[in-house]
Amino acid sequence: MSIKSYSRARAVHAMLVYTGGCNGCDIEIVNTVLSPKFDIEQYKIFLTWNPREADVLIVTGPVTKHNEKPLKEIYDAIPEPKAVIAAGACALMGGVYKNIHGDIPSEEIAGPVEEVIPVDAKVPGCAVRPQDVLAGAVAALPKLLGAK
Amino acid sequence: MDKNDKAKRQEVIETEVTMGTVHPAALEPYRVRLFVEDEIVRDAEITVGLNHRGIERIMEGLPVEKANSLTEKICGICSNSHIWNSVMVAEKGLEIEIPERASYIRIIMGELERLHSHLLYLAHGNEVLGHETFAMRLFFIRETVMELLRMIGGNRVQYGCSIIGGVRPRCELDLMRIQKLNEGMDIIEEKIGQFADRFVSDPIVMSRITGVGVLTKKDALRLAATGPTLRSTGVDMDLRRDMEIYDPFDFDIITQQDGDVKANLLMRVLEIPESIKIIRQAVKNIPSGPITDRSWEMQDTGIIKSYIEVPRGKLLHSYALEEGRVRGSIVRTPSITNIAAMQHACIGNHISDAQLAIVQCDPCFTCTDRAIKITKIEI
Ligand code: SF4
Repeated sequence: MSIKSYSRARAVHAMLVYTGGCNGCDIEIVNTVLSPKFDIEQYKIFLTWNPREADVLIVTGPVTKHNEKPLKEIYDAIPEPKAVIAAGACALMGGVYKNIHGDIPSEEIAGPVEEVIPVDAKVPGCAVRPQDVLAGAVAALPKLLGAK
Repeated sequence: MDKNDKAKRQEVIETEVTMGTVHPAALEPYRVRLFVEDEIVRDAEITVGLNHRGIERIMEGLPVEKANSLTEKICGICSNSHIWNSVMVAEKGLEIEIPERASYIRIIMGELERLHSHLLYLAHGNEVLGHETFAMRLFFIRETVMELLRMIGGNRVQYGCSIIGGVRPRCELDLMRIQKLNEGMDIIEEKIGQFADRFVSDPIVMSRITGVGVLTKKDALRLAATGPTLRSTGVDMDLRRDMEIYDPFDFDIITQQDGDVKANLLMRVLEIPESIKIIRQAVKNIPSGPITDRSWEMQDTGIIKSYIEVPRGKLLHSYALEEGRVRGSIVRTPSITNIAAMQHACIGNHISDAQLAIVQCDPCFTCTDRAIKITKIEI
């Protein structure tokens, strides 16, 4: 293992972007995953708010029209290699906001996330369970570490 | 220049600090422009609207049960309050009397939600303050509440507890759940007491938050702030006192005088024991009987309004029913006026305190972004 990938495996920075969901998923991720009970920092994953520092982008929410451009900009600002985790029913398929009417599309929603930026790991649930977020984050790690 | 030929403060001040659209202070997308002179904030402007999902539009024409569970997705913090109030609108319109046991369970859920919202606020406030130890401790206390909510509602965020005519059968309180509730309340009461002691006796924290982000009583009333933000300025107003369902319970309404960050934080610390008191009374006196009344019939109603007190203030839900479908739904959440108050609270502070002043009003942008105002622009 080169020294670069060795150190990279020990300092993975995750950034959370909220794109218009109900806040439930974000609170579960930030306040539970990073709080003492579930504590993702024990796997050497840290939270950051600076896209240039980030390795993993966690996206929640159905991506509203207004949020489409900021999300793309944030994605572009993250240096390679990067991984994207879509968390929550909203991020995976638009959630209730997009689908409750059946086939009639909602005009406010541009998502799901997959249609805006490429997604590597998907975490289901409304709201996501903290244990699942941990599993999703760990599943996205090989992509980061495998890249030279 | 506006009509009186007087330059607005925004136009004369050159230095502008912009936070947004994704900023750690509030997690949610919004933009704050601070107009700064000599490092003092002279004017602030907050833009919301980035997460407009048009929930009221989606609700239009949906069957009422579906619409009720959609309201829960307005906000992930007060999800229970939204569904509770939305169900109450239908119950008012259809003149349904819910069983007494159901209203007790609803109150227990409502107060547990108030506990988790206040603990989240305190933890977040302490994190912004820079005191991570307190923040982590509070998150740990909050986990106890989340466990209780998961035990009763079956999920950590979206519980779907209330339905028209009562509460869902899975939210029934059996003996084991009641015992766990009692144990949980003991733990929270003990830990929050310890926290409160350390919090008020820490001179560094106290000097950091005293006199920061002051909102005067006059401004709070003028800007129609609600909930704890209003109570922290000395106005004794709590809708729980007027809600019929809270009549059997005995609790105090907390007010503070200063309207600064300290008053706001203490407000929450002191409201937590009151909520615990309500839950204890509810658990002790819960009547036996059915929890759902299914003997109601659908009929058309006019527009019905219902106000309740939620953790962050006064919440309005209103709609009319037509052949079992929702028409003309309106939701008004407390944050919409609290955000105006928060804009005001930023002014006059040092730039480094602006973040505290923003967090102080407990803003929730998710639930605020629904209404759109269409204005004509003359060119
Ligand atoms: S998946 Fe559910 S909890 Fe998560 S943001 Fe969407 S509605 Fe909220």
